[in-house]
Parts: sequence; structure tokens; C-alpha cells
Amino acid sequence: MIRTVGGRLLGSLAAIFGASVVSFLFLRILPGNPARLILGPLASQQAIQQQVRLMGLDRPIYVQYLRYISSFFSGDWGFSYSNGRPVREVIATRLPASIELGLYAFAFAFVAAVVLALLSTYRHRPVVDGTVRAISFFGLGTPPFWFGLLLLLAFSQALHLLPGPEGRLGPAVAPPPTVTGLYTVDAVIAGQWGTLGNALQHLVLPAVTLGLAPFAYLVRLLRVNLLEVSREQFITVVRSKGVGRWTAYVRHALPNAFLPTLTAGGMVLAQLLAGSVLVETVFNWPGVGALVVDSILRQDYAVVQTFILLSAFAYVALNLIVDVLYGVIDPRVRTPTGAR
Amino acid sequence: MADVAIPAPGTARRATARTALRLVHDDPQLLFASVLLALLAALAALGPVLWPQNPLALNIGEALRAPSPAHPMGTDNVGRDVFARFCAGARISLSVGAIVTAAGAAFGSLIGLGAGTLGGWLDAVLMRVMDAILAFPPLALAMAVTVGLGVGLKTATLGIVLTSLPYFARLLRSEVIKIRTLPFVEAATAIGAHPSWIMWRHILPHTLSTLLIQSAAVFGYAILTLAGLGFVGLGAQVPTPEWGVMITNGLQYALTGQWWIGVFPGLGVLAVVTATSIIADRLRDALDPRGRYAHL
Repeated sequence: MIRTVGGRLLGSLAAIFGASVVSFLFLRILPGNPARLILGPLASQQAIQQQVRLMGLDRPIYVQYLRYISSFFSGDWGFSYSNGRPVREVIATRLPASIELGLYAFAFAFVAAVVLALLSTYRHRPVVDGTVRAISFFGLGTPPFWFGLLLLLAFSQALHLLPGPEGRLGPAVAPPPTVTGLYTVDAVIAGQWGTLGNALQHLVLPAVTLGLAPFAYLVRLLRVNLLEVSREQFITVVRSKGVGRWTAYVRHALPNAFLPTLTAGGMVLAQLLAGSVLVETVFNWPGVGALVVDSILRQDYAVVQTFILLSAFAYVALNLIVDVLYGVIDPRVRTPTGAR
Repeated sequence: MADVAIPAPGTARRATARTALRLVHDDPQLLFASVLLALLAALAALGPVLWPQNPLALNIGEALRAPSPAHPMGTDNVGRDVFARFCAGARISLSVGAIVTAAGAAFGSLIGLGAGTLGGWLDAVLMRVMDAILAFPPLALAMAVTVGLGVGLKTATLGIVLTSLPYFARLLRSEVIKIRTLPFVEAATAIGAHPSWIMWRHILPHTLSTLLIQSAAVFGYAILTLAGLGFVGLGAQVPTPEWGVMITNGLQYALTGQWWIGVFPGLGVLAVVTATSIIADRLRDALDPRGRYAHL
């Protein structure tokens, strides 16, 4: 067990190393002048030369790489000229909004996927099954920013059921006192139920938009797994022992069908990360994704570079956790040969 | 020995065409997907002939007109005809999809074939490079390429090709390793065939169905990613009638009532990606009895 975990850890370190080399290559070596990229289009020649020296761009490549990676790990992610603050500070202030949205999006994706997968496989119902498959095709084929636009048109503009793209709270509502940075949690802590309701209202459309792609992915995976597991012999055995159909399904088939879904964790995180970049702008959500889009428009690439590398690290870390967890839960994959 | 198993020329092709026709005929969903894709391809190819309006021509007097016979999809904020832009967008998206699929399949399979046949240190190095690419969420890597090489449609295409490589390479490598140990390959080796001949004549044909399935999946992925890059401003640049860019533009006007600017290009992306993923699904069912969800 320890050996496999060690092996995975080594593999992940190699992947992180590889990812850092790739991003170093693209963001540092290939472009004409990384210093100009960092300082922005308006910087003076003198400032750029100073930045070149500061970044060590006049040093050999391996020295540059070492500096690049060590400053990244020591938390020095550069300076965002359009915000006038260090990149780390800018990202830190934006992070809670993205985390809150991501959590709700994931909750929506997960719950909806489980419910719809159960509905479409529990009995042979071609209409339900066909609808679920159609929804999942829609979810995987829709540009998320466009889906957000459709939701806004329908639920905000036409039906007036939910607020438009106002961000996290209505214009007349003050944010709750900061504890976690997640408005819904902070509102509960402070006992401000009105604020909680308002924050939830503002979360519905962005969370559904962001959760659509992961939902579609999960429901496809779960549906196939459920169909396979429910045909296994142990289900027949459980049923022959007198356990009801529903109980056998939910207590015995569902947990086993979940197992392979766990490996989709990395994919889901990737979709949420990419999605935040594509979705937050639509709803004026003040998160990291919207920050990245703003920075692209202002050519403030220090922020964009940090986001890219950070998301690679998060992705590798999550895949490692999933691998190890999978080994803990399912002993069959603990041997190195079974892992791949 | 080479000409023993070759059927009469043309027979195989005719049979394949007939099978394909039967598949489409028996499956309304597949028929729908194929017709949809063919329709969009026709719009992309014949758009300028069928609807001779310049997708870039400004006409402020005609700005923000709702869909009408004169402008089937309305006009945008500077009076450009949205339908003409939609057709031009189809041309961009479908060509980028085709380029990414062709380049990804060619280079990816070359990497996979090389790694799988030659093995050793080359295999190790190539696969570590693929792992490094896979360490990025796909959109993030495509963003890195465009930021690094300069924003635009070409670099965006290049970035998407790069992210598609590992999917082809890993698949081909595992296929090659599996096929290499099969008896007919051993037999060919025993007869004394050259390894490159075996690769070309005996291994490569057996990977084609896998390659085809993967290509269909990558095609849709490429179009979706291109729209995403265009939306955040890293893909095609502003006057270009690319679907993602058009949606960004439409966003500002959607909530003041001019929904058509952003909604139609999104429908285009949805149609292409859904059609290709249905086709990829059916290809998988028809050609690959084993994996039912070995997709992106």
C-alpha cells in the first residue's frame, strides 16, 4: 500500500515537474519578451530592462527555470499592473467567490446526476432514458457561457424569477461579516436570513450553468456503471435473499456504481476550473475566472500565467488524491499492474 | 505473401458504404446528426454563394434589427448581417475542427506508434511528455499556448492541437502494444517480414477504427474549446466572425432585448458538437465492442 502511494506520489511529482516545464516553455521562453508581457503594453523601455534583470531573463535557461519555479513555490507570483497589487493578493480576494460558486455547482451536478441516473436505469423506461441521454448530450455540447446567456434570458429577463447578472448579492444588500468568505455560510453564522436568501437567489443560475458540463459527464458515467452493476450476480443474490428491488438498487448497486465515477473527479475539477473562466463573466461574478478574463482584456498576463500554473497543480493534486483514495476503497487496484 | 489477403479492389469500399448507409437508415438519431452536420457544412462551404452579404460590412443604419426576411438572423450592434456571420463562423469552426482532428490524429498517432513499437527510452520520454500535457486542464494549456505565442486564431488552433495529442498517442500506443503480441503479427515476423512492413500492413489497419472514434470526439472538443478561447479573448480577434467571439458580443445586448446576436452562434456550436458526439457514440457502438466510454 505504502509502495503504491509512493509510486503515485512520484508520478504526480513528475507530472508537476513536466507541467511546470511546459508552462515555463510557453510563458517564458517562446514569446518575444516576457518582461513586456508582465509589465503590460504601456511600460517604458527602461522599466522593461529593469524587469528583465529582475526576472533574470539575461541568465542561462536552467537558472531561469529554477528561479521561476522557486519563486512560484515561495508564493511570489508576480505583480498585477492593472490592479496595482501583487498577483497573490488579487487572487486571494477573488478566491472565496469562486470557491462558493464551484461548491454549489458541484453539489448541483452531483445530486442531479445521481437522481437522473437512478431514474433512467431503475426500470426500463425508454422515454426517461432517452430524455436523460439527450440532456447529457446537450450538457456536453453547450458552450457554458452561452447556456448562461439562455438562462438569463429565460429566468431573469422573460420570467423575472431570478436576479440578472448582478454578481453575488443584489445592489441593496450588504455582504455579511466575513468569516469564511462564502456569503451563504457567513450569512448563516451572522444569522442574516435575508442576506442568505438573496445570496442563494444569486447563486442558482451561475451554479446551474457551471454545473451543467460536470453533470452531463457524471450522469453518462453513472448511467453506464449502474446498468453494468445491476446485472452483476451479487445483485441477483441479494434479491434472492428477499431484499426489495429498490433497496437492492440503492444500497448495493449504487455504491458500487460510484466507484468508477471517483476517477472522474479530476475531469470534473478541470471542467469547474475552465468553467469558472467561461461562466463568471456572464453573471458578473467577482471570482478568479472573471479576474482572468479581465486580465486577458487588459493584457495583464502575470495573472493569467499564475492561473494556468495553479490550475495544473490543483489538477495533478486532485488526480493524486483520487488515485490514492481509489486504492483505499477498492483493493483490486492496489497492485501497480491494476492501476493503469 | 503480401497479396494473399487483399480482396478485389472496390469490393471492400462498396461494402463499407452500404454498411454506413444501413447504419444511418436504421437509426433516426444518427440520421439527424448526419443531416445536421451536412447542412452546416453546406452553409459553411456555400454560404457566400447562397447568402451574398459581407459578414464584415458595417451598416449602422441597419443596427440591432430583429430577425426578418431581409436578415434571417437579424443584425448586430454595428449592422452586420448575423446570418452571413453565422455561415462564416461555421466555416471557421469546421475548418479548425478538421485541422485539429487531422493534425492531432497524424502527430498523436505517430507518437503513439513510435512509442508502442520502438519502446525503450523513446517510449518513456514520449509518454512523460504526454503526461506533462495531460497535467493541465485542457483549456488552461490552450490558454498558455495562446498567451505565450501571441493571441489569435492560429495559435489557438495550435494550442488545441497540442491538448489533443495525448489522447491519440496514449490510445494508439496501448493498441499497438496489444496488437503486437497477437498470433498474426508473430506469424508475419516468423515469415521474415520487415518490422516497418508489419507496422504498415498488419498493425496500422487494426488501429483505424479506434482512431476514427477518437477523431470524432476530438472534432467536437476542438470546436467547443475554440469557442471558449474566442469568448475569453484568446482566440479569434474582434471583427472575425468566429462563433465564440460573436457570443461575447451578443452578451452585452441580450439583456436589452437583442437576443439574436448571441443565441444563433451558440446554437451553431451546440449543433456541431452534439452531432459529432452522437456520431462518435454510434461509431463506438458499431466499431468497438469493448469500450463504451473511452472518450475525452
